[in-house]
Amino acid sequence: MKIPKWLYIIFLIVSFIGFLDATYITAKHYFGSPITCSILGGCEQVTTSIYSAVFNIPVALIGAVYYLILFTLTVLYLDIKNEHVFYTASKITVLGFMASLWFVYLQFFILNAFCLYCLVSAATSTILFALGITTLNLKYRQNH
Amino acid sequence: MIKLENMNNKFIWVIAILAIIGTVFVLMKLASITPKSDNNTNNSKIAPAILDSDNVKGNKNAKITIIEYSDFQCPACNAYFPILKQINDEFSKDILFVYRHFPLKQIHKNAESAARASEAAKEQGKFWEMHDMIFVNQSVWAEDKNAKDIFIKYAKNLELDANKFKADIDSQKIKDKVNSDYQGGFQASVNSTPSFFLNGNKIQNPRSVEEFRNIINQELEKVTIQ
Repeated sequence: MKIPKWLYIIFLIVSFIGFLDATYITAKHYFGSPITCSILGGCEQVTTSIYSAVFNIPVALIGAVYYLILFTLTVLYLDIKNEHVFYTASKITVLGFMASLWFVYLQFFILNAFCLYCLVSAATSTILFALGITTLNLKYRQNH
Repeated sequence: MIKLENMNNKFIWVIAILAIIGTVFVLMKLASITPKSDNNTNNSKIAPAILDSDNVKGNKNAKITIIEYSDFQCPACNAYFPILKQINDEFSKDILFVYRHFPLKQIHKNAESAARASEAAKEQGKFWEMHDMIFVNQSVWAEDKNAKDIFIKYAKNLELDANKFKADIDSQKIKDKVNSDYQGGFQASVNSTPSFFLNGNKIQNPRSVEEFRNIINQELEKVTIQ
């Protein structure tokens, strides 16, 4: 099956944006200023640091790796033009989407603190998920 | 126009790798920039002197005082709660720790009433017990419409006289105390919580127990030399 060009181009761009965003949060985690709540800024720094690590690994770093994998797979697809590479990337987007649902839930209901960059990440992973589903759907329809 | 399909395969990889490396580098630089205004004003920030009405912990004759301006509903303050607990245990003989209220009412609707609840507990000699209970259960009461009822329950758990507690929590005396803490912090240019003052001077928030320990040890050395 030929994957529509617009699909993988958007996929490439969005995964790159997701990577930028997650890398920025990771860098903030390691090099940024200490956490506080402020009248103007809310508690954004809180979500970008202390609550955001699993076994001492910041979730943002895991996110950055996740987007990097998707980005690399798309580049690999551009290179070797093997659809299965892109199908794999499409399947992986489910993981990112699930993780994002969890983090949005955490921010709204548990932490009551929001982080703009985390919401951007939720948006990019949702878009990637939609593109992934579209790809797999096209593949399914072509096979049946 | 260059078509992606016709592009040299190696070229695609080179662009992708350069884009990744370049942006990681730039973002790391960006993230490590601390706002200038913060550093400039730090030197001129001096906290009001310690009063009898302050909530203190540790050694009253210590040469080092640490004042914290805090908001019970602030997740960052809650994150510092275990750090401070450890520091206060470790340096109980060397420092006097002061807790002052700085409820960020604009973003935390129950911060003020939590501050008053702790002061009402103080009237019965249990400020720190209530302080701990409020922080430990932050997620329970933070967004609750009837936070006051929850605090009354805590008062009962701490075996306080519930009727007196209820009266105190809304008393003018306690409102004034919370407000005077806030005003003092405001004059010392506190605009975020937690904010820490070491011997009256504002310090950059330490990021861990280790950093806190180092700052205190350095100050202890300075004080003993003098």
